[in-house]
Amino acid sequence: MAEPNAEFESEVLPQLDVLYRVARRMTGNAADAEDLVQETVLKALRGWAGFRPGSNARAWLLTILRNAFINGYRRRKREPIAMDIDTADRHSVLREAAEHDPEGEFFDHLVDETVLGAVEALPEEFREALVLSDLEGLPYAEIAQVLEVPVGTVKSRLFRARRQLQRVLHEYAVEQGYLKGGTTG
Amino acid sequence: MTEPLPADCAQILDALQDVLRDEASPEMAEAVRRHLEECGPCRNHAGFERRFLELLRKCDREQLPADLRARILAALRQDPR
Repeated sequence: MAEPNAEFESEVLPQLDVLYRVARRMTGNAADAEDLVQETVLKALRGWAGFRPGSNARAWLLTILRNAFINGYRRRKREPIAMDIDTADRHSVLREAAEHDPEGEFFDHLVDETVLGAVEALPEEFREALVLSDLEGLPYAEIAQVLEVPVGTVKSRLFRARRQLQRVLHEYAVEQGYLKGGTTG
Repeated sequence: MTEPLPADCAQILDALQDVLRDEASPEMAEAVRRHLEECGPCRNHAGFERRFLELLRKCDREQLPADLRARILAALRQDPR
């Protein structure tokens, strides 16, 4: 009886950590992330017949996780209205940093918790793209598959997400005195 | 609003994002490398983006809690399918 599950395990178990990290960043807390991973594994098991052997198990599982998140967890949580990331976008932090810290040395002073907090504060559609690309290192094509959008859309979301995150981290670094302030505000 | 970069630098910086993530063709990667050799502002920019990406790549090393992994495994092995 263990045979079908052995195949399932060999595909799914190696992906549990990435599933957990993505769930953690999307839900914003450990308890919901744990529930979401469990639900994802359960749904994956039920849908195992639909998995094509040799195809990308990580993308398949992340798609299941994302759908479970959209259908369940997000509804329970009050999502803030998406901020106008376009506006933030215009004030590239590079321009401010160019004077005092052109190579972004302030990044080296930031602790992981600060970065993760800023990532979690991004609007959801930008956050998910950024987490999959720049935290988890998925290729653009795989992200496009998981998010069910064209690669061009992935890239444009990433561009905006990175700009926004850079801006927030730069402001934080200025506040903390890691570098001399630019012309913020 | 930020002044637009010269068209060629802007395009290089756009491609730089793909180069840093191994998504660029070898030709594109080479064009970016050559441009960075001769363009100081873009070289700074590249350093900035590289540091930013390094920060993001290393910031999240969390793993699935061991007890949850054990629970998932136990559930799978009890499931008769």
